[in-house]
Order: sequence, then C-alpha cells, then structure tokens
Amino acid sequence: MHELSIVEALIDQVKETLVQEGEKGRVLKLELSIGRLSGVNCDSVRFAFGLLSPGTVAEGAEVEIQQPKAACNCRACNVLTEIDDLVIQCPRCASGDISIEGGRELLLQSIDVEE
Amino acid sequence: MKIVAAKKILKANDQLAAENRARLDADGVFGVNVVGSPGAGKTTLLEALFAQLKGCLKPAVIEGDIAGSIDAQRIERIGVPVVQINTEGACHLDANMIASAIKELDLAAIDVLVIENVGNLVCTAGYDLGERLRIVVLSTSEGDDKAHKYPAIFQSAHAMLITKTDLLPHTDFNVERIAADYKRLAPEGEVFQVSAVRGDGVAEAADWLADKCREKKS
Repeated sequence: MHELSIVEALIDQVKETLVQEGEKGRVLKLELSIGRLSGVNCDSVRFAFGLLSPGTVAEGAEVEIQQPKAACNCRACNVLTEIDDLVIQCPRCASGDISIEGGRELLLQSIDVEE
Repeated sequence: MKIVAAKKILKANDQLAAENRARLDADGVFGVNVVGSPGAGKTTLLEALFAQLKGCLKPAVIEGDIAGSIDAQRIERIGVPVVQINTEGACHLDANMIASAIKELDLAAIDVLVIENVGNLVCTAGYDLGERLRIVVLSTSEGDDKAHKYPAIFQSAHAMLITKTDLLPHTDFNVERIAADYKRLAPEGEVFQVSAVRGDGVAEAADWLADKCREKKS
C-alpha cells in the first residue's frame, strides 16, 4: 500500500525531470536507490510500477534498484558494522551506545531516455 | 541518453511538509503528529489530554482514517475544532492531505494542531507532515516488543506514550524493557505512562506537551 504512493511520487518525478530537461524520448530505464532501512520493499515497488506506469511517460521502462547498506557505529567498541536491519545494540559488543548511519535513501538516481 | 536526477522520490511530500510547517509557524501553531497502531488509544488519549489542557492551550485536530468519521465525532463532542481526512485506502497521511485540511481551520484561533495519523506503525514513519513534534502511542496490550519490530517509527518519535497502564496487571508488558529499547533508538526521547480512563499520568504528559508548545512560541 505504502509502495503505491511512493511509485506515484516517483512517476511524477520522472515527468517533472523530463519536462525540465526538455526530453521527449521514450524512457528506457530508471535507476533507483532504496536504502535497506528505508522501510520500502523493492519487490512491492516493482509490482506497483507495473500497475501504475502504463499510460504514463514511464511506461515500459526497466526499473533498476540499488540498495545501499547501513552501518552501526559503536562508540563502546569503536567498530563500524554493516547492517541489513535497524538494530538497537552493537551486533559485536551489544552496547547500546551506537549511531546508525546511512540506509535511508529513497532516490531517483537517473533516467535513461531513448536518443 | 542518461539524465542524472539524484532526487528524493518523496521530494514533493517533503516540500509540502516544509510549507505546512511554515504556515503553522506563521500563526504560532505547534504541529504534533500522533502515530500508533489501530486501537492503541490515540483518540482516548487526546480526549484526556485536551480535558487536562482546557484553559491552557487551544487545540484543533486533524483526524486521519481510512474510512468514517467516528473519531472526528468524538473530538467534536468535546468542543475541539476538527477536520476529518478519509484516505480511502491509503495507509498513512501525507503532507498534501494536511495542506488541504489546514485550509479548513482557523489557525489564528488555536495554539496546537494535533494530527491523529492513520493507525499504522510502518508507513506513517516515512511521511513528514509538517509537524514539530512526533508522538508514538503504544498500548500495554500490544506487547513490549514493538520497538524491536517497528524501529523506524520509534526512532523518529520525540516521545513514546504508553497507554492503558491500568491493564498492566493483566499483561506481561514490561515497561522497563520497552523504555530501554526506545531510548536506544531515540536517546533524547521522553517516555510517559498513561491510563486515560483512570487519569493516571495524564497531567505529566499534558504538562510536557504544553511546555514544548511554549518553548516553540518563545
């Protein structure tokens, strides 16, 4: 459900960007960056794109998704650990004195347009 | 040809949220986004807080629900201005819905605008509505593992209000456990324990809200 409104916003962004760039060609590919902690499911995004893109400028485009990882920065053991899910303690030493870095991206990185 | 966009997908929402915040600030209105599961007791909590704050703060409410206006009717009954948003299926409110709802309110006549989000611990986390304060409401009957299972919403909240504390003797809900989990996610966050039906803890939560509201105004 959530991904539907995100894909709606994505298609609006594509439209807006094409108008700004004065591009009228067919959209071949969209590159997205969806961080692992963004709470957005990539399969659902692809599914929603299949439902919402027909009849829009993005119809038929390939959707390529990169999923930047996040890291847990522990101030107790001074170690940066790569994480796939949000953690509330250091996976290494179990300290709660941590900060979470990255992984929240939700970006339209680029649009490939037919020449 | 490749067009490099590097744009936030929810940029439109973030921009509208910033406009909502500016609109509220201009009239000295403090925006509060209240999130929590369906049945966490959000509306009951608001009724109790508003009764406590009577004569001190002038509130208005935006109610977000998938369907119906049961909650808005409850708020109306206690004499607080209210606008109902029906999301017609959408699982969260967005900044655009709030921008429309704000137009229905007389901002000059209120101090605090409480937005009761759609009952949901997942999707509501991603949408800035233009609030200054986000409160997550969790009832004792839901279990003390929710910060573990839905960390994003707890991390983004300035306070966690534990409701239905009158039910504590009948559950295995561990207040210390959830408070510790929440503090790890949001070290600056405040924790309140409230029983809206018995009145326990309502004054503390209401005082804190009033203080936050005054801090912003001064």
